[in-house]
Amino acid sequence: MSLPTILLVLFALLLVTLLAWALRPPARPLKPALDVFEALSRPRHCSRISHVVQALQPEDTEYLRETGQVALMQTLRLQRRRIALNYLDQLQEEFEELLEISRMLAVMSPQVTGMQEMERWKLSVGFAVNCAFLRWKLRLGLQPFSGFTLLSNMATDIARQLEMATARIAEATVRGSESSAPGNENIGSR
Amino acid sequence: MVEPLQLQAAAWALTTTLELALFVQLVRGKLARIYPLFFSYLVAVILQSIAVAVLYRQTNLDKLTVWKIAWATQGVAVLMRSLALAELNRRVLSRYVGIWALASRLFFFVAAAVIAYDLALSRGKWQWLILNGIRGLELAMAAVIVTMLIFAHYYRVPVNHLQRALAVGLCLYSSFYVINYSLLERIVQQHAVLWNFLGIFAFIASLLVWIGAANRYAESEELALSPAISPELHGKLSSEVNTRLYLLNRQLIQLLRLKDRNQ
Repeated sequence: MSLPTILLVLFALLLVTLLAWALRPPARPLKPALDVFEALSRPRHCSRISHVVQALQPEDTEYLRETGQVALMQTLRLQRRRIALNYLDQLQEEFEELLEISRMLAVMSPQVTGMQEMERWKLSVGFAVNCAFLRWKLRLGLQPFSGFTLLSNMATDIARQLEMATARIAEATVRGSESSAPGNENIGSR
Repeated sequence: MVEPLQLQAAAWALTTTLELALFVQLVRGKLARIYPLFFSYLVAVILQSIAVAVLYRQTNLDKLTVWKIAWATQGVAVLMRSLALAELNRRVLSRYVGIWALASRLFFFVAAAVIAYDLALSRGKWQWLILNGIRGLELAMAAVIVTMLIFAHYYRVPVNHLQRALAVGLCLYSSFYVINYSLLERIVQQHAVLWNFLGIFAFIASLLVWIGAANRYAESEELALSPAISPELHGKLSSEVNTRLYLLNRQLIQLLRLKDRNQ
């Protein structure tokens, strides 16, 4: 049997596996529309990023070394790292929530662009990788600032995409309401 | 011991019985109106069974002619199946305009790529062109079904029990056909009976899945798929979400500027 034929058989087997995967029930049921309102109105974790970054700056606790309290300084840094890890979990949760909202908007949107969906998918993969990377950096006590900047940039990107999608939905809604308004029927139509 | 040919004849009879049972189920459950192309596909398959049975009883025809006619009927059945698949995809996704626009383009691309790859394997020989063309179509159908289900899963688009069953039956049969055909391609002449029997077996499995789903089908399943958000709420939600996002975005930009100042 030739290699291209083997590839065809493998592809068919892969399709059967993907079929089983796609038939699984979703991990979380889709939020009802009003929950999305609530999710969007909650305070964003991104808003605390500056405090977390500030708390992780070595200079912030350096004065303790100068006063001879090295043990306290280390305890403080450890605690701050733990808080940063916790913050990271919340940030990831928030990001996933934004992705879920974007999915819901895609379902309602009259136009979904492949490039944007691909971009979102790339963003979510990148975000997951960066989160894992940052977690390890924090656990090992390394400086994680560039990583945090990257994550907040990603959150901004996804928020920007959501903004564009909602603008399109709003536009379509306006168009829909205009066309269904009385007096807008075609004169020739029966 | 049962002869392979007897076994095949029994399987054939069973298939026709199941096809007729599904026919009755679709008519009785008024599903023929909801899925007219799937129903047409079933009718085509029943007619194919009759045509092939009559054909094999005609002893005055030479083997090549019988082979050509049998494969031509198979071509029609595959074509009807692809139309039934298109209908299924449309029913699942078309109410979500944006997703449907994206998905339909992707389906076209996936199907074209798979068929082109499979046809390239024929290397210009017409006998293989037909057989590989059918295999390519089967593989393309399986790929499109999986793409559709992945789309539905990702966007949490509701897929009712019957639609799932139709997708599973179509995909399993197509995938099995490709595996069966590809593995036995070289030795098909020596093992034609086994090849046919395995093919029939896969189709019987698909028929059972469809009959089971058609049996359990309730009209409320279709009604349950209507969009959950009314146009009024949709409009309200859109403008509200838009405002929230503007606020969120502005907040994020402010924070980033803050962070730059810190650094």
